[in-house]
Amino acid sequence: MVSDSITNAYANSAPNAKDFAKKKRANRSAKLKQCKLDARREQWLSQVKNKQSSEDWKGENRQRSGSGQLLENLETRRQRDDQNGSVHQDSDSESPSNSPIGLTSVLSGNHLSGNCIGSSSSCSSGSSTGCFSGSTTEEEEGGDDGCLDDWEAVADALAADEKPQNPPFDPPPKGETVGGLQSRGEHKEELVVPDSSRPECVKRPPRTATANNQAWRPDDAFRPQSLPNLSKQYSFPDTNRHYGSGPIPWGCNKAISAPSSCPICFEDLDKTDSSFLPCLCGFRLCLFCHKRILEEDGRCPGCRKPYEHECIEAEPSLLEGSLTFRLTRSCSMITRT
Amino acid sequence: MIDFGRVQKELQECSKDFEASGIKVSPKADNLARLIGTIPGPIGTPYEGGTFQIDITLPDAYPFQPPKMQFATKVWHPNISSQSGAICLDILKDQWSPALTLKTALLSIQALLSAPEPDDPQDAVVAQQYLKDYQTFVGTARYWTETFAKTSALGVEEKVQRLVEMGFLESLVRTTLDAVGGDENLALEKLCSA
Repeated sequence: MVSDSITNAYANSAPNAKDFAKKKRANRSAKLKQCKLDARREQWLSQVKNKQSSEDWKGENRQRSGSGQLLENLETRRQRDDQNGSVHQDSDSESPSNSPIGLTSVLSGNHLSGNCIGSSSSCSSGSSTGCFSGSTTEEEEGGDDGCLDDWEAVADALAADEKPQNPPFDPPPKGETVGGLQSRGEHKEELVVPDSSRPECVKRPPRTATANNQAWRPDDAFRPQSLPNLSKQYSFPDTNRHYGSGPIPWGCNKAISAPSSCPICFEDLDKTDSSFLPCLCGFRLCLFCHKRILEEDGRCPGCRKPYEHECIEAEPSLLEGSLTFRLTRSCSMITRT
Repeated sequence: MIDFGRVQKELQECSKDFEASGIKVSPKADNLARLIGTIPGPIGTPYEGGTFQIDITLPDAYPFQPPKMQFATKVWHPNISSQSGAICLDILKDQWSPALTLKTALLSIQALLSAPEPDDPQDAVVAQQYLKDYQTFVGTARYWTETFAKTSALGVEEKVQRLVEMGFLESLVRTTLDAVGGDENLALEKLCSA
């Protein structure tokens, strides 16, 4: 859902998108936005769902929010599903939202200029779309195909991540925590079962979450051909858990073998130290020793080249494994391929 | 202030690895700023069979500054002063890195013994001989090894052991022997009078 509006927004407003990208760049340091993004997207998803069910595309209800309303919408949807009672209906009813939505992209474009910069928490759903399209186009300019790949994964992860944040919903019963692939496999079987056979159907995990666990379905006709193969997406290790980890720095979960102690002072590296990578050569050390070296000759002990102070800010120049907690999430995704 | 925590750990690591590397680092005194390193002469060189002792003095800024090392054992080598034992090795000067350790520095010195650099000499006389009359150089180097690197090293250890058995602290025995130039009797006299 997010990804398709990303691409739509990109396709329809490519010239504008460059401007947005600049603004986005200026706003890059707003880390808090990532947290808010999750929440906003959650709202947005529920609203879009609501639009589908009520066939109301012009959307005053875009401004609606709140979990009570969300629950209500879901109840409405559930009743509809009970009547139809089939998977295909479910995915069909979703396809309108996948169809090219000039409206959504225009909306996202309009909202973007205002909302992305001022990161007010009351931003409507459109703003989260705007943020996505903005950064996507930015990375498109760089010509990095990998970012699309990552965006899909992130969209998945955001969907997965929002589930625990939904207070009215119980945790998903099965398959959800195992990984995207498996949950997708069980997804259809689960939905084929008529709801009447489930007495506890009120407590059932909402279809919104399950249906949006992945940004694209393999058989999705509206998935742009230019996107990389979905099988690539599966190859991400523990995608849901990894991306859904929220505030935990991305570099921390890397499988890169970091030394457990600083090779200079032999003291144990703490979490901050072990996600600190000051030099492109990959030599790690603790922040204390790094500071000390900067005060003296300022050369990396590993390669004897002078430390480049800018290398931390110049994210795109960092290659894989060199991400630090200082990078914003969108930057990290560029390089993580 | 020297990072004694690091030095302590380096000594532990080094003693763990002694069987494989043959390199030993032991403190001369209790403050760990002065140490003595021991390297075996590399096999296949005129230094084979010798045991070379290297005086190590740690600067206050160690490991951010290189340790000062010089041969305590006399050695005939183009990059080592035959008079003072000073070593011409880049990693002990501008190419030092805090990621290096005493053990890796000693390993580098051992490698220097196998691969002299006569074009960047410390001892011009030895370097000239190495370049112009390699056979004589090999003979001299071997003679020096036999003379200074075998007996003295073995002798010192035996002297230390004998003096320790008399009830003196090993570190004290070593410093005293060092101070009197390795003469056991003079050292004993000094130890008793101290």
